[in-house]
This record gives sequence, C-alpha cells and structure tokens, in this order.
Amino acid sequence: MAIALHESELGNVVVLEGTIDISSAGELKAILLKALGSGKEVCISLDAATYLDVTAVQLLWAAEQQARLSGAVFRFSGHLSNLVSTTFANAGFPSFQTSVNAA
Amino acid sequence: MSSAEQFKQSFREEAREVLVDLEAALLELNENRADDELVGRVFRALHTIKGSGSMFGFENLAAFTHNLETAFDEVRNGRLQIGSELIDLTLAALDQIRAMLEEREGPEEAAVRAEILVKVRRLAGIAESVPGGSAGSIAQTAPSGLPIRQWAIRFAPGPDLLLNGSNPLLLFAELRELGGLSVKASMEMVPPLADLDPERCYLSWDMVLAAPVDRDAVHDVLIFVEDSCELVIEPAADSEGDARQAGDATARALEEPRTGSGGRRTYDRPDNASSLRVPAAKLDQFVDLVGELVTVQARLAELATRHDNSEVAEVSEEIERLTSALRENSMNIRMTPIRATFEKFRRLIHDLARDLGKDVELTMEGADTELDKTVIEQLGDPLMHLIRNSMDHGIEGRELRLARGKCATAKLQLSARHSGASVLVGVSDDGGGINAEAVRQRAVDKGLVAADAQLTEAETFALIFQPGFSTAKQVTDVSGRGVGMDVVRQRVEGLRGTIDVASKPQLGTSVTLRLPLTLAIIDGLLVAVDEACFVLPLGCTLECIELSSADIERANGKHVADVRGEIVPYIRLREHFDIRQKRPELEQIMVVETIEGRVGFVVDRVLGNCQTVIKSLGRVYRHVQAVSGATILGNGTVALILDPERLVQEALSVKLPSHGARASPRAARSGGAAASLRHVAESS
Repeated sequence: MAIALHESELGNVVVLEGTIDISSAGELKAILLKALGSGKEVCISLDAATYLDVTAVQLLWAAEQQARLSGAVFRFSGHLSNLVSTTFANAGFPSFQTSVNAA
Repeated sequence: MSSAEQFKQSFREEAREVLVDLEAALLELNENRADDELVGRVFRALHTIKGSGSMFGFENLAAFTHNLETAFDEVRNGRLQIGSELIDLTLAALDQIRAMLEEREGPEEAAVRAEILVKVRRLAGIAESVPGGSAGSIAQTAPSGLPIRQWAIRFAPGPDLLLNGSNPLLLFAELRELGGLSVKASMEMVPPLADLDPERCYLSWDMVLAAPVDRDAVHDVLIFVEDSCELVIEPAADSEGDARQAGDATARALEEPRTGSGGRRTYDRPDNASSLRVPAAKLDQFVDLVGELVTVQARLAELATRHDNSEVAEVSEEIERLTSALRENSMNIRMTPIRATFEKFRRLIHDLARDLGKDVELTMEGADTELDKTVIEQLGDPLMHLIRNSMDHGIEGRELRLARGKCATAKLQLSARHSGASVLVGVSDDGGGINAEAVRQRAVDKGLVAADAQLTEAETFALIFQPGFSTAKQVTDVSGRGVGMDVVRQRVEGLRGTIDVASKPQLGTSVTLRLPLTLAIIDGLLVAVDEACFVLPLGCTLECIELSSADIERANGKHVADVRGEIVPYIRLREHFDIRQKRPELEQIMVVETIEGRVGFVVDRVLGNCQTVIKSLGRVYRHVQAVSGATILGNGTVALILDPERLVQEALSVKLPSHGARASPRAARSGGAAASLRHVAESS
C-alpha cells in the first residue's frame, strides 16, 4: 500500500498504489484534504491500485463532493485493475464508476 | 495485539457462543428430530461459522464446516433424514471446530477431521470436491428446486461494521452466489470530507436478488452482521417467478427514492446497542478499583469521625452513597445467568447416556438464576463430577429401572435458585439412591469411622466426599476412583459453600450446593479481640450474647453457653489465633449457624456492620483454612475475614491431649472448644 501526493503548479496528483483499505483510510483522508486545500485541480491516479475497500470509496466520494462544491476540478486517471473495477461494480456506485470510466 | 488479531479474537469469542447454541440445538434436535425450526437453527449456526470464519482468515475451519452445512441443507430440503449418526458426527465435528478456533492443528486432529468429513459426505451424498475455504454457495451444492424469487434487501450497516472486520463487499459476493444481484449504494449519509471519520461506514445499500431461494437463505448470508445493521429483506414482487414483474420490482426498488424513515438511517444501531462485549479481565479490574474505592471511602469516613468535621462528614456521606451505588452496579455487572453452565452439560449427559447405554432426560429449573461470574467459572468442575457420578452410579440401566417399576428414561435435573445471600445449585436424579449401609461399611473398611460408630444420615452421606472414597465395585471411564466427589467438596469449600445430600433408596439422590452469590464483597460483622479485628459473614450470624465470668463458672470451664435453654458450644478466637493479652471481664459470643449446628465465637467487642471487599491472602497463606481473605479497614488496619465453617472444622480436628502425650499449646488451648463441640455434636 502506498499513497503519495505529487504537487505541481498545474495541479495535485494523488497516486494510489496496491491495497487501499481501512488501515490506510486515515492517511488517504489527510492527503485528500491537503490536495483539495490548494484549490488546484486534483487528479486521482488509480493505475497502480489493486484493491479499494468501502472506506476508500466513501473517502473518494466525499472528496469529489467537496471539489464539486468548491468549483475545483476533480478527476480520475488511469486504467482500473479488474479487482478495483469489480469492487466498484459490486459496491453499486454507478455515478462514481462513470466518473472513473470517463477519466 | 494487532487489529487483525483483535478481529480474530473477536471472531473466536463470537464463534464460541455460536457453538454453544449449535450444541444445544443439536441435542434438542436429537430429541425432536422432526423439528424444522431446530434444523434451521443448526444450519444457520453452521453457516455463520463458515461465513465469518472465511472472512476472518480461518479458511480451514470454513472448508471443514462447509460439508456439515451442506448436509443440514439437505435435511432442510427433505433429502436427508436426521439420525443419531448425523447428530453424533456433527457433535464430533463441533469439537474439531473448537480446536480449529484455537488453531490446534496436528496430524492427529487432521486424521479425525478427515474421517468425520468422509462420513458426513457419505451420509449426505456430497461429492468429494468441495470448495476449500470459500464461503461457498448453498445454491451450487444443493439446488433448492424453488422458483426464482425476487428479494428486495435494504442493508444499512452500523458505523463500526468495518472496524469489526466485516466487509460488506464479501457479503455481496456471497449473495451473488445465490443468484443475480443488483446493488445500489446510497451515499446520502456520507458527511463532508473534513467531518468524515475514515474508519466508519456511512454507506447503505439497496439490493434486489433474483434467486431460487427462500428468505432464510438470504438472511443466512447476512446473519453475522444483522446485530450491527439495519436489515430489511422482503419479497420484491407479488408473483413468484414472474420475471417481468420481478424485473419491474427490481427497477422500482433501485430507482425509486426512499422516503421517510425507511429511506434514511435515523439511528446507528451500535451507538444505541443494548449490550456490549467487554473482556472479563477489564471487568475484574473495574471491580478491583471499586473495591479500592470502598476502602478509601471507609478511611474518609474514619477521618471525618476522628476530626469531628461536619463538612468532611457531609462529603464522606455523599461519597459513601455513591460508592455504595457503584459497588451494587459493579456487582450486578458480574452477575451472569447459570444457563450457559447448565447448557454445557447437555452434551456431557448425551455422551454419557450413549456410552453407558442409559436413557436420560435432562431438565433444568431456574437456569436464569444469576451468580457472580467468578462463582460460575468455578462451578463447572463440581457439577461435572456430580453429573458423572449420578449418571454412572445413581441412575440405573433400562432393564433394572423397568424391573423396579420405573420409567425406562431416567430424569436428571439441574436446578438453581436464590436463598438469601446464597444460591442453591442442585443436581437431582431419580435413580437408585445412595446405599447408606454400603457407604458406612466402606468407611469402616477404610478406617474412616469406628465399626460401632453411630452416624446420622447426613454424616453417612458426607463420607462420600472423603478423598479416595468410592463404593463402586469397579472403576469405569466415568467414575469409581473416588476422586470426583472429593474435588466437589474442595471446590465448593473453596467457594465458601456447603454441600447437602438427600437420598432415598430407589427414589433418587439430590445434591445441593449452597454457594455465596459473590466472592468479591460480603456484608460482614466487624468484631475485635484485643487490637485484632475480624470479619464474620453477616449471612450466617444469628445473634450476639454476653459471656461473663459468672457464665464461665456456671459451665464449669467448658466452652459452652446456655442460649435460652439451648447448649451452644463456642470457640474463643483469642485462643484460636493465639492472642495472649488478658481477656476482658465481659466478652461477647457471636452465634453463627454452621453445618455442625449453632456455634459461638467469643470476641472482646462487636464493632458493627461493614461491607467488606475480600482480598486474597495470596499463595503463602493458602493453607490457612479458617480465613477466607482479608480486608483493609477505614483506619488502614487489616482485618481477617473468617470462614465459620472451616473454623469449626479446624477446631473439631484438633486432637485432644491424652495422658502422657505431648500436645501443642494451641491444641491444648483449643481442646476445650473441640471437646465441647464434639460433646454437643454427639449428644444432639
């Protein structure tokens, strides 16, 4: 598991790698808050993520809502692994899944 | 302990409770083999263990349980009959599941488990290949034959669901194994990111399952989490198997916004939980702290009195009131129904009845009677020995019972009821009763009593609790070595309890254990001999009378007092505890009730009532029988808590000095009390 924040003038990229679950939920929240705090575009990179549990999904959802309210750009990038796709589908997040697929 | 280990431990604890229920259900099912409700209970318990075991990483346990679950699904669907073999195999498997919970994995266990599985598979007609460790699918292994039905499921987990180690996604995967599943998550309870507790679950789900299963099958998947979530399972379509209507219902269920209280979680059940699980060690620590508080409060009261300070006295009284309430509450928390202990013996009785070829019906009375958990924990062994003894020696075989005009099925009753500050726990049977003459003869043979000794019935029955005493003609696997009843006596005495035996030839035997409700705090009477303080349990104290020099003279120096015409022997605590200061002119006799009858304890002064926190004397003093513990008084001094029964036994056991023989000073001093006790006992 690894969560990293890459900050640049153009925007912030949050890179999720490996399994993101309850054990890393606190760290993910802190990084999302920091990324959104700058007011710049936030991109969530899911290329290297292999598994997201419910805690990760609801954090990403809340982050997306906060970005929307503040008018910031919030998007996902990368190709979802099969396991992540399955998780999203199994958890029944249609609109969330759409935003990921649209990335 | 890591989070993963905590979850595993939590699973172990819950699984043990499920196993207790499973065992009880199996034994009930053995008696009522056509009871579908019991079959369902067994199936659900197995399913819970399998599903949650898989979730918490007990893959072998899940795989092992899968076959049993399948067998009982066959029973549910009418393809397999309940028989003794299936019950016994499942009971044996249950023992293995217990071992697997403790992660006891050896070649011997593996062989036993393999043998059980082979037999279960043969019995239920299950194919050899089974999903190892998978949560498994009921539908895959046992097509139900039901038409496809649509089930609307509303699943709103409590906030701590994820912290408990549960994973909703695994539950959805298991539901998918039953049939087609549509899932829609509701995000409306997710708070803004800054307010979001990352470890809590804020989501809820509406699902529609299309599967050839009944409601129970759906419920079984979610059974492990139902206590910590809002769960609604209802038919989604009026017409079963109507795909079009079902499809409409699916669409409606997923698309229609939920309104009112049904659409929003208005409460988080875990926050409003009516009960919670607390490790026993934490509870013990809590009670210890309350005990310390009681001691400190007593010191405060003492200070307030000594300094005659009304303001401090007022605060002290308020603290005393609160401490008393806290003490009552903490004691109540420790009180546990004896039912679980009783239920544990169903299995023992079932197995013994099978092994001994006897028919025995177990009944329970007062199983909801509550006792301090420490007492309950120590009650298991004595009850086990009493039951084994009853099953082996008390209850006759079928033929003998029939020959005696009795019902072939014997009755064995476990009972419990409160009696003042004690609880009476009984083991009764309608067997052949104790052969008093055989007991007496055996005691004579062993040199325990003289051949011409006149023993009362109670004294005769008390002999069976002597170490190594047995009238059994042969030693069996069950009993006959004369060890069990000695263990009963030791344990019950260790609990400050007493044993009463009643028996009638051909009618049966009843053994009653009188035990204190709690071992932690007692109501006592504080007495003093010179500077030494002692506490006598209030429950057994009858009255207090004065003992003057004139009274002693009238008794010719014998340790007896005339209490309204009744001769009561007494023991001088001054002599017993070797307190050498001169006794006062006027002493006090505390008259207490013991199994030897009324006995007095002579003290200098009676200081009054006290609620006493019992402190162990520790291992160094474990051989001091007459003292059950110690307590710290308000002035910081230590008072010994006396055990009247043992004090009397100790005094009776003191050998009287004979001519020419040397006796210890204490034996010589206590000889008067012993002689008086013996004299009164023999003449009564």
